Amino acid sequence: MPHRKLTKSAITADRRTRARYRKERRFKLYCIGALSLAVAFLVVFFTSLIGQGWSAFQQAEVLVEVSYNEQSVELPLAAVGEDARPLVSRGFYRLIPRQVEQNPELMDTTKEQWVLAKADVDQYLKGKKARLRANEKKTVDRLVEEGRARLAFNTGFFTNGDSKLPEMAGIYSAAVGSIYVLALTLAFSFPVGVMSAVYLEEFAPDNRFTQGIEININNLAAVPSILFGLLGLAIFINFFHVPRSSPLVGGLTLALMTLPVVIISTRAALRAVPDTIRQGALAMGITRWQAVRDHVLPLSLPGILTGTIIGLAQAMGETAPLIIVGMIAFIPDAPGSVTEAATVLPAQIFTWAGMPQRAFVERTAAGILVLVAVLIAMNALAVYLRRRFERRW
Amino acid sequence: MRAMKKLAIAATAAAAFGLATSAQARDQIRIVGSSTVYPFSSYVAEEFGATTGHSTPVVESTGSGGGMKLFCEGNGLNTPDITNASRPMKLREFEMCQENGVTGITEAVVGYDGIAIAHNIDNPPTNLTREQITLAVAAEVPQGGKLVKNPYKNWSDIDSSLPDKEILVLGPPTTSGTRDAFEELVMEAGSENIDGYGGEYTKIRQDGVYVPSGENDNLIVQKLAQNKDAFGIFGYSFLEENSDRIRAAEIDGIAPTPEAISSGEYPVSRSLFFYIKHSHVDKVPGVMDYANLFMSERMISPLGYLKGLGLIPLPKETRVMYREQVKNLKKLEPGDLKEH
Amino acid sequence: MTGPVRARPGPVLSVFGTVAELWDNSLNSQAPPGAVDTVTTMALSFSPFSFEGPWSVDVATTITAFLLGMLPIAYASFLLARRWATRTEAAGVAIHSRPGQYGWYGVMWVALPALVVALIAAFIQLFGLGTIPGPLLVAAALTVGAGGIWFARATLRPGLRARNILDRVIRWVLLAAALVSILTTFGIVISILFESIRFFEMVSFWHFITGTEWAPDTGFMGDAADADPKFGSVPLFAGTFMITAVAMLVAVPVGLLSAIYMSEYATRAVRGMAKPTLEVLAGIPTVVYGFFAAIVVAPAVVDAAGFVGLDASYQSALASGLVMGVMIIPFISSLSDDVINSVPQSLREGAYALGTTQSETIKQVILPAALPGIISATLLAISRALGETMIVVMAAGLRPNLTWNPLEDMTTVTVRIVDVLTGDQAFDSPETLSAFALGLVLFVITLCLNLVSTVMVRRFRQKYE
Repeated sequence: MPHRKLTKSAITADRRTRARYRKERRFKLYCIGALSLAVAFLVVFFTSLIGQGWSAFQQAEVLVEVSYNEQSVELPLAAVGEDARPLVSRGFYRLIPRQVEQNPELMDTTKEQWVLAKADVDQYLKGKKARLRANEKKTVDRLVEEGRARLAFNTGFFTNGDSKLPEMAGIYSAAVGSIYVLALTLAFSFPVGVMSAVYLEEFAPDNRFTQGIEININNLAAVPSILFGLLGLAIFINFFHVPRSSPLVGGLTLALMTLPVVIISTRAALRAVPDTIRQGALAMGITRWQAVRDHVLPLSLPGILTGTIIGLAQAMGETAPLIIVGMIAFIPDAPGSVTEAATVLPAQIFTWAGMPQRAFVERTAAGILVLVAVLIAMNALAVYLRRRFERRW
Repeated sequence: MRAMKKLAIAATAAAAFGLATSAQARDQIRIVGSSTVYPFSSYVAEEFGATTGHSTPVVESTGSGGGMKLFCEGNGLNTPDITNASRPMKLREFEMCQENGVTGITEAVVGYDGIAIAHNIDNPPTNLTREQITLAVAAEVPQGGKLVKNPYKNWSDIDSSLPDKEILVLGPPTTSGTRDAFEELVMEAGSENIDGYGGEYTKIRQDGVYVPSGENDNLIVQKLAQNKDAFGIFGYSFLEENSDRIRAAEIDGIAPTPEAISSGEYPVSRSLFFYIKHSHVDKVPGVMDYANLFMSERMISPLGYLKGLGLIPLPKETRVMYREQVKNLKKLEPGDLKEH
Repeated sequence: MTGPVRARPGPVLSVFGTVAELWDNSLNSQAPPGAVDTVTTMALSFSPFSFEGPWSVDVATTITAFLLGMLPIAYASFLLARRWATRTEAAGVAIHSRPGQYGWYGVMWVALPALVVALIAAFIQLFGLGTIPGPLLVAAALTVGAGGIWFARATLRPGLRARNILDRVIRWVLLAAALVSILTTFGIVISILFESIRFFEMVSFWHFITGTEWAPDTGFMGDAADADPKFGSVPLFAGTFMITAVAMLVAVPVGLLSAIYMSEYATRAVRGMAKPTLEVLAGIPTVVYGFFAAIVVAPAVVDAAGFVGLDASYQSALASGLVMGVMIIPFISSLSDDVINSVPQSLREGAYALGTTQSETIKQVILPAALPGIISATLLAISRALGETMIVVMAAGLRPNLTWNPLEDMTTVTVRIVDVLTGDQAFDSPETLSAFALGLVLFVITLCLNLVSTVMVRRFRQKYE
């Protein structure tokens, strides 16, 4: 509780008392200092990330004439005029043969269109170090003057999967993989977790066995995440033969990690419901299970949901167990089912952080921004749920 | 009753979900293996996925040894189709494959990787012999007729013709295949020529003069930029990517250029391989198309895309030979092993 | 009034018969592609392989077929039982439970036996005691399920206490769910124990625990002259403890003082803003912290050290430790916050009554009272820091280094585990197995820390309740 300031009086005339008040102020300053250190870190953190990452949301494009004809299907490089040729991304060139195949009316036409420029052009336009030859730089400058080169919003970042070409790299497949993994984590950990908590809270007799289970759950909550990875490798992949790198094995491993969180928060939510409700229900003659199902659970649902969302947010940011289970790989396509190989957003960030091309640094930072934004949104949702639906008994 | 309906719907949804997963046999090619071949393999995989109708192959960097283990586990569809390696398959691994039923294997060589020792570009060009490098990083050196803990702290301690700078070498960790190659091609060859070792010596010192650095090459470059005396050991592809910041030293008088590596003149080079599992060729669509794409001129010739990523191309006749080998799925025999 | 109730197998058998017929058709005939394509895939997939093999084709298909078959049978059982109950009640006989509950009783007798059969088959399959072809399993499970309908119907009578039986069954199901967590712990222990035992057959346990040299690379070249790999793990644990110590030096003061400020000094508004801010720190994924440590903090440390004339590595323990400390701040601050708040108000008021300032109350009354809780929070935080992986993988070094200097690069246990399991070396080398041995020791250490921490909290709570 805040202390009301004492007015100057005989008390403060004493030297020792003044010294004590000084100590008091100093202590308070230390505490504020500590808190501000933490806040300052956050400020530095976000500023540096945003500073490094915001440029990734823009991508360089050049306006060129593209000729679709026999020659360009054979040698896609021939589709663009000579001076702009080295500036266009390889990702555009390799799509030309298929484009013509799928849209035959394109054959023998020329179109002026905005196409993706290669990563070095992109970095050059953003003012960063780029490996362009002198004549290429001149061409780019000329195109900028003519208005034929621009930095457009990088939609590819959100619609493309991983790529070896930095200008084509995006988070789409990682995001889809994350969604699959989260869905599976939820599907496995929510029912089992809630059922365990209901058992422990409502049905379990108070004996050694139950205490053992409780201690065990508290322990699991604090086991290093990498050991869950070893568990996933040894048991799910080697014993159950679940496909490596699939959302299934990732979801199962993360579900086991999230289980203690769900159990603990569900128990807290169940405990918050007053006993009178249970007793009233039992007084009507229904069984214990019916009382829980129809009276206690609905009332504790907001608390349970809050805990689950927080647990899921933690799972979404986990990388270490997924490395051991094989989800660090080059996986550009989004998974079509739970048994296909997939990667998740934090794993994608980890992979990009190790790529040598400098253009990936800004993409890593941008990916981090997206991930952190999603996590903050999830936590905010959980807090909102808690505030809105919390009942004071 | 309402609960029963809800349960029925949920179970049907689960069943449909399960059906969706089960109805497809695997159509994603699975590739594992060496972290050195990984950048090339994933580039080809991406090309493959983007230019054909197949889904993009999944490439995992497990290391050559780990990749061999997964590859040789059996013929099931949960094992990989192709494994990359920065060294040829060992006899032990070949036997494991045979034991587990993987009897049809095709070996392909895609190119060379040179291992370079580089330093900050501001330094003048340096020439080191393999013996000097061995003495710089070995854990023990022969002095006075026996092996003692390596006392050399400066390059000039080893050889007075070398500059008087502190020895600091950033190299691959023990879990990297590049280290294996470095030990074999530099230290074994170097220590053989030094009397006092009495043979090959490959143990590397751990007192801070040799610093194991991982896959994050950006950090290594930062260090080299900061410490002008330091040397880094990496693959040629990395040298290419950072040629504006680092310069390679000559080894035994020969600089690591593509021509020198390709002709075998540059002593520290190794071949890069991948192995195809015959039993998967029919079961997983596109395996041969991917392999043939990898071996095509578009990729591995001197004008190919992988050259730009740092792959040193094979001489033309060798390329043609391996291309044919892959196309015809020539079976790997025990006699073909360790011949490179 | 209540004559013997006769089960009516007619509709049940016919349903089962239709399913069997459909199955037969798909197995024998050339099913045209399209809608029946999936059934064909299922049927064809059963022939070359058995239960084992490509997961995505076989096991998932079997599970799907199982569920699809179970659903109508269970539903049929539900309807039958409930209809009996409604009719009996309408006929004037008093039944014990509600009709719906009799319906669930019927479902129970279908689902549970079928599940037991499936589980037994899975066990046999997984432990390699035999192979069970998919169709046989599904057929067996469904037959048992159908038999369940008959059995349930046969045992239905007005006096049947369906409600209570259901209650007990549900209790068991919930208990089974609670046992999953025990199974998880078993799983973790088993997965590291077996491989660790194999490792300790190759390397002596004593040498592992007390040796000060970690040099596995001579084990790499199988036929090198000096093949004497050293697996002394002391440098690895020293690295872990050093980084943890740095992290604690950052986290404990900042976390504790922040907690004190938020619980004792702050107004409701400030507390409302400060708490979420600290929770944001907890929500940032560790891979992001790792990236930040490697790209921003490590160069800053090198520059700062160079400024005072010291030589720091780009992979210094200091950089990783600092960032790890920041990551742990929310742990300590929120746990300490709870502990400080639960110190009874009477203690505070007694101290104020004696004329102490707030800081004196905190330092001399509240903190000593809350000390066990705070220590327990610190132990939990230490255990978290010991097991942290991503920050050190991205920002710490790879060289086992036994030193007191935090500016040098050193590697930790968790970095080694990741490195070894994703590295290039031979698959059955002692180096790969060392990962599991390290994991085992890590598990034991964190387990002990957690136990001590829990015991302390319990004793602290007992004192004040």
